[in-house]
Amino acid sequence: MKGRLTIKGLTKRFGGVVAADNVNLDFEPGSLTAIIGPNGAGKTTLFNLIAGRLTPDAGEVWLNGENVVGLPEVEIVRRGLSRAFQIASLFPQFTAEQAVAAAVHARGRQSHFLLRRFPLPSARARAREVLELVGLEDRAEQLSQQLSHGDQKLLDIALALASGPTVLLLDEPTAGMGREARWQMIEKVYQLWKEQSLTLIFIEHDIDIVFQIAQSVRVLHYGKVLAEGSPREVRGNPAVIEAYLGATGASVPV
Amino acid sequence: MNLPALLDCVSSSSCVVTQVSTGLIIGMLLFLVASGLTLIFGVLGVINFTHGSFYMLGAYFALTAYRVSGSYFEAVIVRALGVAVFGVVFERLFISSVYNSNVLMQLLVCYAFILILDDVVKIVWGTDFQTMGMPSTFALPPIHLFGGFVPPFYVFLTGLTVAAAVGLSVLVNKTRFGKLVRAAAVNRQMLACLGVNTSLLYGAVFGLGSLLAGAAGALAAPVRSMSPEMGFSILIESFIVTVIGGMGSIIGAFFAAVLVGIIRAVGSIGYPLFTDGLMFAFMALVLLVKPTGLFGRKLA
Amino acid sequence: MALSGCLAVIVLALAFNNPQFADFVLRLTIFGSYALSLNLLIGYTGLVSFGHAMFFGFGAYAFGLLMQTERVSIPLAFAASIAGAAVLAVSIGALCIRLKDIYFGILTLAFQMLLHAVILSWVSVTGGDQGLQGGIPRPPFFGVDLSHPKQFFVLACVIFFGLVLLVRQIVESPFGYSLRMVRDNPERALALGLAVQRYKLAAFVISGTIAANAGIMMSLYVSGAYPNFAYWTLSGDGILMIMLGGMTVFLGPIVGAGIFLLLNGIITRTTEYSGLVMGIVLLSVVLGLRRGVLDFVVERCGNLGRAALFTRRIEL
Repeated sequence: MKGRLTIKGLTKRFGGVVAADNVNLDFEPGSLTAIIGPNGAGKTTLFNLIAGRLTPDAGEVWLNGENVVGLPEVEIVRRGLSRAFQIASLFPQFTAEQAVAAAVHARGRQSHFLLRRFPLPSARARAREVLELVGLEDRAEQLSQQLSHGDQKLLDIALALASGPTVLLLDEPTAGMGREARWQMIEKVYQLWKEQSLTLIFIEHDIDIVFQIAQSVRVLHYGKVLAEGSPREVRGNPAVIEAYLGATGASVPV
Repeated sequence: MNLPALLDCVSSSSCVVTQVSTGLIIGMLLFLVASGLTLIFGVLGVINFTHGSFYMLGAYFALTAYRVSGSYFEAVIVRALGVAVFGVVFERLFISSVYNSNVLMQLLVCYAFILILDDVVKIVWGTDFQTMGMPSTFALPPIHLFGGFVPPFYVFLTGLTVAAAVGLSVLVNKTRFGKLVRAAAVNRQMLACLGVNTSLLYGAVFGLGSLLAGAAGALAAPVRSMSPEMGFSILIESFIVTVIGGMGSIIGAFFAAVLVGIIRAVGSIGYPLFTDGLMFAFMALVLLVKPTGLFGRKLA
Repeated sequence: MALSGCLAVIVLALAFNNPQFADFVLRLTIFGSYALSLNLLIGYTGLVSFGHAMFFGFGAYAFGLLMQTERVSIPLAFAASIAGAAVLAVSIGALCIRLKDIYFGILTLAFQMLLHAVILSWVSVTGGDQGLQGGIPRPPFFGVDLSHPKQFFVLACVIFFGLVLLVRQIVESPFGYSLRMVRDNPERALALGLAVQRYKLAAFVISGTIAANAGIMMSLYVSGAYPNFAYWTLSGDGILMIMLGGMTVFLGPIVGAGIFLLLNGIITRTTEYSGLVMGIVLLSVVLGLRRGVLDFVVERCGNLGRAALFTRRIEL
């Protein structure tokens, strides 16, 4: 049951806009799934709903066999879910190592310790481990705000990994990057997934990248699940094509 | 808690009229000051802690002008404008440099000015209480109203303030200037990109706010005694009004000002030492129940 | 640490011989710890409080009133006042942290002015605007007699150094870094599993009790308690001190308090118009330097400056 995420009938309205419309999704433990869809399809909202940042109007989110709807964000994190953000959400004045160590503390319920010095040796060791995983080990002493854009995205992921999650949500890990950098990033994500055997769900715009690594793809449109299946199946799905390009009939750009 | 005095007053219609009208006057003055404060906060995002000092300057300027010219109207108008000019200069030179800094920097710049201005007033006008007395134009017999007596100046003041409130509302909601001001409140950079001279706009808004405070001071001169400390107390009170009414809302400021004015008038009979306490307690309550004030956020 | 120990010895030695200097040091211990506590809240947790003086005033009055009953020993009154301040901080803090940004500050101001109004109006208990009359009795305890100025001085210094070390430890502990997380990115902190509101409340309570302690020492120092101990100008002065000295360096607030006290002393002695001069000085520092003195030093002197000020590479 570890790492299983199931969403049932998730619905969320903002005034007249339906951001999530009776979404039903299932993610097998250890799977690598991409969520795609045109802008405004409700992808980030879905992540917010799963992670507890937003409360749904209806529906259930089953994480590792427990319905976590209504629980505060902190509680959901403690149950093994972690997320990285579209725009890197960091602690600008912390060094990379300090930031990850602080994340380790937070997860390990050591963040309130008053009598020891920061960082605890165990947290520091774990921070080094995680930084190595994402490839930032030689920038450990750099201030977060001084890292390059790509490195900041990596640090963002490192922060999410620090807690050793069973389910990891990545919101557009390649956002804001050039072509070359995007492939490198997605390669890293793939390696991470293989080594850590977690359930990884990522939002992505670039279809090529999705086809390169995803085991399965879910397409969202206007808050609804439009299609799901293997990358090949989804690619040829006329409804998906139409959603992306309108009714022109051209195939999804390669 | 002086309950007997309070009950006494409630039973006497002349006392009620006096208290209500006094409260109303205080409220009107508070509204003028608070509307300036709320305007500046709503558009510029700055809490102008110096606002009380502008009020004080308006009062003192008016005092001098009246003594010199003998005409009250001229005193009010000219001196209020004087304060406005001062306000614009202040904004251009000092406030603008801390727009993007955090609130602590703004607080310090304003605090520095409060200290400076208070002492300047002491130097020029002395530390004692000063009074203007009722100007000759208004030295008329009191008006008989609802069983009590109301000085005609009160009526003038109330009328003027209500007109100002309406005018301000119209200005903000219906004129082009108002549109620009509201747009600047939401997104200054965009507006600048569209070719609007936002510095000028900001200066104008600040000038308007200071004008209101200065005018309030000038209007208050006949009915309140002046001392270098008057800036502090009006600042705190108008702050309370702005918070209760809602930062950025003119209507809110109006209702909250009248409310606070009445509380003050009633409180000064029934519970004189704790009147301030009552107001703060009320402000705390509003903040806890509806932090954005009774009338919400942006310019209204 | 060794360096500060030597410094302490030097200071004490000097102070014993020079009553004026001793007086200054005493006031520095009071306002230095007050400023340090405020910076814990503002500089490390990012909670800008406009009402910090409420704890200073509460500490002074609570202690003063307890001692005036003549039935309580000093240590007991001390402990009770601190405990009372903690209770006050928890209740008020729990309400204030519900608000964000400037509204938090405004609510703290409201509560502080409320306390001030209570002090002013409850004349029978607090003496109203005259302050607590009759002085503060100082029965000896554990062989310590605080009516002797030298003993009081030593106690004040000991407590001060203790507090400095305590706050230093807090700030360098995992807890301290959690506060910085709350300051820099509370949303991400939440997403990492940190109960942000609890840390805000904890910071509020810790800083409040330290400020109350400063208030207690103040009441002993002036043998009384006055309404302006809880007035907004003291809150404002506190902010002034931490900005003068530098919010990003640990010792900044203490240095700032020192500068403030010096300036105040010099200005009030040389001119009648202290407000004018102080205001001008303030403006030049704020607009000229744009940061505190120690921030400036650290920036200019780099590593050497940092080492001298007991700060680590990233002291924020």
